[in-house]
Parts: sequence; C-alpha cells; structure tokens
Amino acid sequence: MNLFFVVLIPFLGAGLAAWVSRFGRLQSAWMAGGVTLVALIALTPSLPAPFLGETLVQRIPWIPALGLDLVLRLDGLGLLFALMVLGMGLLVILYARYYLAERDCMGRFYGYLLLFMGSMLGIVLSENLILLLMFWELTSLSSFLLISYWQHREDARTGARMALAVTGLGGLAMLGGFVLLGEMVGSYDLSVVLANGELIRSDPLYTPMLVLILLGAFTKSAQFPFHFWLPHAMAAPTPVSAYLHSATLVKAGVFLLARLFPVLSGTSQWSILVIGAGLATLLIGAYFALFKHDIKGLLAYSTISHLGLITLLFGIGTPLAAVAGVFHIINHATFKASLFMAAGIIDHECGTRDMRRINGLWRYMPYTGTLAMVAAAAMAGVPLFNGFLSKEMFFGETVTFSANHTWDWLLPAAVVVAGIFAVAYSLRFIHDVFFNGDPIDLPKTPHEPPRWMKVPVEILVAICLLVGILPAFTVAPLLYVAATGVLQTAPPDYDLAIWHGVNAALIMSVIALIGGILIYAGRRPLFNLATKLEGLLDARAVFDGLLKGLLALAGAVTRILDTGSLQRMLLVFILSALTLGTVGFLGGGAPLTGDRDLLPADAVSLLVTIALIIVALWTVVLHRRRLTALIVMGALGLLVSLIFVKFSAPDLALTQLSVEVVTIVLLLLALYFLPQYSPAESSWPRRVRDIGVACLAGGGAAALTWSVLTRPYESIADYFLENSVPGGGGANVVNVILVDFRGFDTLGEISVLALAGLGIYAMLKDLRLPGPTCDARGRPWNWDMHPVIMAALTRLLLPLALLVSAFIFLRGHNLPGGGFIAGLITAIALIMQYLANGVEWTHVRMTSNLHPVIGAGLLIGLLTGLASLVFGYPFLTSAFTHVHWPVIGDFELASAIAFDLGVYLVVVGATLLILVHLGLMHHASHPGEQEPNHA
Amino acid sequence: MLEMLLSVLIVVGALFTFIGSLGLARLGDFYTRLHGPTKATTLGVGALLIASVLYFSTRGEGLSLHEILVTLFLFITAPVSAHLLAKAALHLRVRSIAPPPPEAEDPLADTRVRAGD
Repeated sequence: MNLFFVVLIPFLGAGLAAWVSRFGRLQSAWMAGGVTLVALIALTPSLPAPFLGETLVQRIPWIPALGLDLVLRLDGLGLLFALMVLGMGLLVILYARYYLAERDCMGRFYGYLLLFMGSMLGIVLSENLILLLMFWELTSLSSFLLISYWQHREDARTGARMALAVTGLGGLAMLGGFVLLGEMVGSYDLSVVLANGELIRSDPLYTPMLVLILLGAFTKSAQFPFHFWLPHAMAAPTPVSAYLHSATLVKAGVFLLARLFPVLSGTSQWSILVIGAGLATLLIGAYFALFKHDIKGLLAYSTISHLGLITLLFGIGTPLAAVAGVFHIINHATFKASLFMAAGIIDHECGTRDMRRINGLWRYMPYTGTLAMVAAAAMAGVPLFNGFLSKEMFFGETVTFSANHTWDWLLPAAVVVAGIFAVAYSLRFIHDVFFNGDPIDLPKTPHEPPRWMKVPVEILVAICLLVGILPAFTVAPLLYVAATGVLQTAPPDYDLAIWHGVNAALIMSVIALIGGILIYAGRRPLFNLATKLEGLLDARAVFDGLLKGLLALAGAVTRILDTGSLQRMLLVFILSALTLGTVGFLGGGAPLTGDRDLLPADAVSLLVTIALIIVALWTVVLHRRRLTALIVMGALGLLVSLIFVKFSAPDLALTQLSVEVVTIVLLLLALYFLPQYSPAESSWPRRVRDIGVACLAGGGAAALTWSVLTRPYESIADYFLENSVPGGGGANVVNVILVDFRGFDTLGEISVLALAGLGIYAMLKDLRLPGPTCDARGRPWNWDMHPVIMAALTRLLLPLALLVSAFIFLRGHNLPGGGFIAGLITAIALIMQYLANGVEWTHVRMTSNLHPVIGAGLLIGLLTGLASLVFGYPFLTSAFTHVHWPVIGDFELASAIAFDLGVYLVVVGATLLILVHLGLMHHASHPGEQEPNHA
Repeated sequence: MLEMLLSVLIVVGALFTFIGSLGLARLGDFYTRLHGPTKATTLGVGALLIASVLYFSTRGEGLSLHEILVTLFLFITAPVSAHLLAKAALHLRVRSIAPPPPEAEDPLADTRVRAGD
C-alpha cells in the first residue's frame, strides 16, 4: 500500500506546510522539504520492482460497480516520473526558499506546490484511467493556483486563467476519450487497456477516441495550436516555472502519450496527428524562442519546442523513437530546470528579465554563468552534454522514419532547421546575458546569489554533464526500465555511446551547430524582420476573442432567461409545468380515476380537510396583515400535524409540531424588520390572472394526487417494514430509514443544514438593520421586555423540556422520536431562554459559539459511518446489541444512536445559530435599551 | 366500579372544557374572556389526565406517569401565557367592561427619551 502513501503524503503535507508558516517564514520550506523526503522514503520499498521487470499494482475498492477503484501502478515509466517529480520538487523547494521575497507568503506557496506535487504523482502512478483524469484535473487546478501565486499582478491572473481554460478544456475532451477507450475494452484499468492494443486500433471509434485523448495531451503539453498558454504562464514565480515547465505539468501530456503509446500508436491517424503537431510545435517554438527578449519567454518557447520534439518522437512510433523520447524527457527536465533556475537567479539579482538590458554579467556572476553555459550547451545539443545524446537519437530516428517515403528529405530537413534555431537561441541566452558589452540601466547591481540558491542548479548541471559523458554508467538502467514501461516489452537494442562514427545524425548535429552559430552571428537583420512579422500569428488574440464571444453569448442567454422579476419567473415555471403536465396527461390517454376502491369518508378527516381549506383561504385573505397571517399559518401547521396523527404517522406529527414552532419564531424575528402591513401592489386584472393560474396549478396538483391515490400502489414500504428490526435493530421504521437504510442521505442533509446555518450566520454577522421603535399604529413597545413571570417560569421549564428531549431522543429507534425531533425540542427550549430572559442574560450562562456544536455533530455522524468501514462493513452499517442495565431494565444499544446524536447536535447548533443571530440583530437595533431586570 | 369512575372523570373533564370554551366565546370583554380557558386547562384537562393515569395504570402494563409531566407543563405555561396576554391587552388599552387600572408607570421612560434624542 506504500504507493497510496506516496500520493497522499504531499496532499496532507500541503495543509501542514501552509499551517506551519504561522510559526515563521522558513518553517514551511522545511516542512515541504520534509514532506517530499517522506514521500520519497515511502516510494523506496517499491523501487526494485520495476528493475526486476515487475509492475506493482495496488488496489483499494472504491466504486466497484462503476469499475472505479483506487488503484495505483508502478512500472518503469511511473517510476521515472515519480522520481523526477519528487527529486525536482526537492530542488525547487530549496531554490524557492531563497527566491521568494520577504513579502511573499511562504505557506501558501509551499502548500500549492505540494498540492501540485501530489496531483502529479497521482497522474504518473494511476492505474485507473478515470483516477488518472481526476489527478489530471487536479494538476490543472493546482497549477492555476501556482501560476496566479502573485495575485496582485494582472498578468499572473490572466496567465493562470488562460492555462486553466486551455488545459481544463483539454481535460474535458480527454474524459470523453477515456470513456470511449474504457468502453472499447470493458475496463478502465491500464493493465487491461495496454493488453488490448489490437482491439482498440481496429475499433470503429478509434479515430474520435484518439482525437479526444490527443486534445487532452496536446493542451497540457502546449502543442501547437494550444501552445499559447505556456508563455503567459511565465508570470508565475520562477521556481514554479522551473518545476511546472521542465519536469512536471507540461510533461504530463507527453507522459500520457508515452503511457498509451503501445495502444494508440502504429496507425496512420496517430502518425499524422502526432507528427504534425509535434513538428509544427518544434519549429514554431524554436523560431519564437530566438526572438524573445524576455529570458523566461525565450525559455518558455524553447520548452514548447522541446515538447514538440518529444511529441514528434512518439509520433514516429517506432520502439527506438519511443526510447529516444523517454531519454529526451529526462534530459530536457534536467537542463531546462537548471536554465529556469539560472534565469530566476539573474532576474533576482538584476531586477529585470529583459535581455536587451542584461548584458555582460560574466564579470558579476561568473559562477552562475558557468552553470548556465553548461545547461545551455545541453539544450543546444553540444557533444559531451546530455542533450546531445537524445538529440542525436532524434535526428537518427527522423532519418530512419523518412527513409521509405518519397519526400524523405523533408522531415530531416525540418528538424535540422529546428536544431539550428535551438543552437541559435541557446547561444543567445549565453552571449546576450553574460557577454555582449555592459549591462544597461539595471535596477540593481548584480552579484552572485546566496550559496544554497546555486546548489539545485549545481546538482542539475552535474547530472547534465554526467549523463552526457558517462551515459552507460548513469542514466542507462533508469532509461531501460522507463522504456520498458512505455513499450510494455523489452526495448530494442540501442547504444548510448557518444561516438557512433560518421553517420547521418552526426552530420545533422554538425549542421545544426554551425548553422546556429551563423544565424546568431547574423541576428540583427533577422531581429528586424521578426519585429515586422510580430503580431501576425497571435494565438492569444484568437483566445481572447473566443472568450469574449463566449461571455457575450452567455450574457445574452442569461438576459433572455432571467428578467429579474421573481413573479414572472414563477409564472413561466408554473405555466410550463402545467403545459407539460397537461400534454403528458392528455397524450397518455389514461383515465383520471384509477380502479382502486374508494375508502369511505369519515367525519374527522372531512372536518380537518374543511378546516384546512378555510384556514388556507384565510391566510390569503389576511396576507397583507403579516403578523395575523403568520398566526393563521401556525394554525395551518397544527392542523397538518393532526392529519399526520390521524393517518398514524406520529413521527411526522412530532416533527411538524416542532418545525412549526421554530418556523413561527423565525418568521416573527424576521418580520420585526419588515413593515407590518404590505401595501396592495397589483392591479385587479393582474390579481384575476394570478388567481386563475393558482387555481389551475392547484387543480392540476389535486388531479394528479387523485389519479395516483385511486390506483393500486406498490411501494418499497414493505421492504422497510420487514427489514427494520432484523436489519436496523429498531422498531421505529421512520427512524431506522433515517439513520440506517438511508443514512447517507441523512448525512448529506445534515451537512446541508449545517451549511445553511453557517451561511445565514455569515450573512447576519455584523449586519445592522434599523428596527421600528413603535408598532404600525404608532404605539411604542412595552417597556417590560422580559416579564418576570415568564422569565422565572421559563427557567423552570428548561430542565423539563430537556428531559423530554432526551426521552424523545433515546426512544427514537423503537418508538416515535429521534435525533431530529429531539434536536428541535432542545433548540426550542433554549430559544425560550433567549426570548424570556434576553440575549445577554443567556450568553452569560451559555456559550454563544455554536460552530463547535455543528462541527461535532457532523464529525460524530461521519465517524459513526467510518467506524463500520473499520469493521469491514459498508459505510454507515449500524450494529446493535441489547444490554441489561440495573433498575432501567433491558436497553438496546445501537450504533445508530451515535449517528442520531450527530443529527441532534447539528439540528440544535444550526437552529440556534440562525435564530440567535436573528435575535441579536433585533437586539442591536435597540442599542439604547438596557434590560431592566438583569442588566 | 373503575369504569364508573373513569366515566365520571371524563364527563367532568369534558364539561369543564366545554364551559371554558363557552366562556371564551360568550363573555363580555377580553379580560373576562381570558378567564374562560383557565377552567379548561385546570379542571378540564386535570380530570382527563387523572382518567388517563387510572386507565393506563390498571391495564397491567405498569404505572403510567407521563400525565404528570403534561400537568407540570400545563401548570407552568398556562399562567405565563395568561399573564402575557393580559399584559399585552393592558399595553394596547383593549376595551374593558370594568374601568382598567391606571397604567403601570414606565420606569425607563426617562432613559428612553434620552436615548431617542
């Protein structure tokens, strides 16, 4: 199960890292580093497996019915990426500790970084496609947070939004692709998918599936035409760029290409789409990189170009090309991260990133300059550096691939052009920054950065060199297992030597090097040309235009649908319901009255029904006198609870009674702030229309009820009645349904209740409304706000009411009652204290902080549910036993009672929270009045 | 014998409840009407509750004492509601047959005026 810890630890650590920042600025850096180390240690037990040729799969069933399990896998590819994510993470954490300024919030930064790290680990270790997609979306979200880390900067916000929009859209497309893929093979598990390549490639839906998945991969990996978000993401702090755009986020796309390589590749659609996108990206990225004046912009476009290179390699589709692709993933991660870090150091020390101003830094920071030169040489593909090896493999593969085609010179020529540009922009990065005269008007005088800021760069540069000079002793084993993981079989023979003799690849490398130097030498006219051409291919403008159009469309639709008049919306709603109902009913052709025998009408039901109708009409007539109408509505509620008693639903009757009381108190408190009489607002024709609509709607509902009730009715009630005692251990079926059969529903409902309570609290907090000082006829309020008789006797009532509440609560499982009703009774008893004695008096004696009560209730409910998981039963299974207590007698102990306690606490907390804060507002509207009895 | 006793209690309870309701409907003004329901809540409900205790306790299922709780609640709430109603009526100067007592003096009248300024 250690893989689960590897993924989970960064998520847990994110919270920790954010939390410890309150104890000092650097604590979160230490914490983040520690968390990453722990995750690395958790990974170590599994390290040998891929080298022994095994694929580790660890599984926790989640929703087996949907074929969705929490299942992780570790093979060579996953291992390579997990090591890159964690290792690069450590270096970036160290680097960022020195990079971030005094005013930047460290906790937030490291929290986001760890969130991102966890999501990325999830992607590379997922075995299930849907799980992979979830982590995929999480990387989109967490990278949004990271890119927009400097929230005060507009470019950071727009860049982050653009990245989220583009990668999010790609993720949606990918979901479609994954579903198609899963349906083709009948499983979402990668092992099954990877074993069924033939089946998938011959499926008629192969092409749409491929396009959808590639959309996801290409948006993430910034492939043309979705490349434009990446340069704008450079508004992020440089450590973020170093992490996201070297080893992680953008590599997720090529990771997916590698992951599904054995399944998807080998068709002409694959070759056309992937080679096309890769080649276009390679060329466009290399071209733009040369002409960017911003150091990070140059690196961003070069990243795009290198991603294109990797994509192109996977597109070629031969096993050897895939090996080269994996190799270049490793190499690009090392040299690009070190270059980003070097760029960050330069930016940090110079205060600007404009290469037209940063010149001749060699004199100020020769050490950083050396490091940057090594990394840039690797990027350019100079021999003895790691970039050279993979680039030569790349050149060789393009030649082999094109050998049998008619236009066999085209692809090699194009990649050589890209190579030339790569050499040119690498040269520019070094020459423009470190030589080329003196710095022009820098905000700061540059000097070498702190010792430890250079350490991550040194490590990465050392890797570049070691891999470049001694590939067989360093990267070879890891590359071998990673390639095995990609191909799902042993890779073909390849040679990592630096010198293969004079062959096509070497000649291409030499042309690229010489051509690059020549281009850079003649850069002035090229720059002028580029300035003229700039703006011709602005993908951002297209994106912005699309976004604007979409927003305008959404605005137009909203304006049509939402006119801002509640009455009109209700009218539309009711009329549509009526129309649909009528059409459905007339179309069905069934008779209104069913074939069930009618029961004889008894006097009580008839009387109560008539009373109900009268009271309901009375409410309508009285609705302008709000207080009176409220009292009448209370009577209506009591009548309804009598009906429940009549139809032997004592639980409902009890609930109705207590809810009625709370509602009336709530409305009274709220009505205090409203005028006591509503003016007549609508004209007569309108009233007639409304009465007509109301009658139609009521008649429709009555007809519907009639036709349902006159038909024989088979419900699932019998199941509940039969299984209530054996399955839930309670004779009160209503309560057993609430806490056991549909306990998950109840958990959801109390969460909603808690949220509603908190929401109302948030709205009422600090809200000050002026209350009226006299009633509608100008009579002042009575001076005696808390009459003595009521105050004294209400205190006497409290223990009695609590006793009743406890009684109702305890018997709830077998007799009418339960946590919900008991909670309402307790709430009413406590509210009575507020009403009778005043807020201040009560707050001296009882805490006003109700959030812990709500929280405790939710927690108890959740823990009860989880407890059954511990014993190996499904969530919220209840257990019960009978114990014999002296004096009291036989007593049933059910775990459901703990759940009911959770319900009770949430109900008490939320109800009190709402009512007390309404009352406090009331209190605050009379600041001058003291409480005569107790103040 | 028990049945006789129960019947008497129920009839007495019903009678006083009826008298109370009649009083509520027929008496002259608000203050006297307030007087009516007290009959129903004390003697009326009291007799019915005693009948209930007797009936459920003699059925062989043990002593039934829930009714005591009901009585307690009634004894506590009935005076409070009556007092509040009367107080509200006095404050609003509801019409009365007998001349109403002089209005209770507002001890905070001065402070209120000051706060209002």
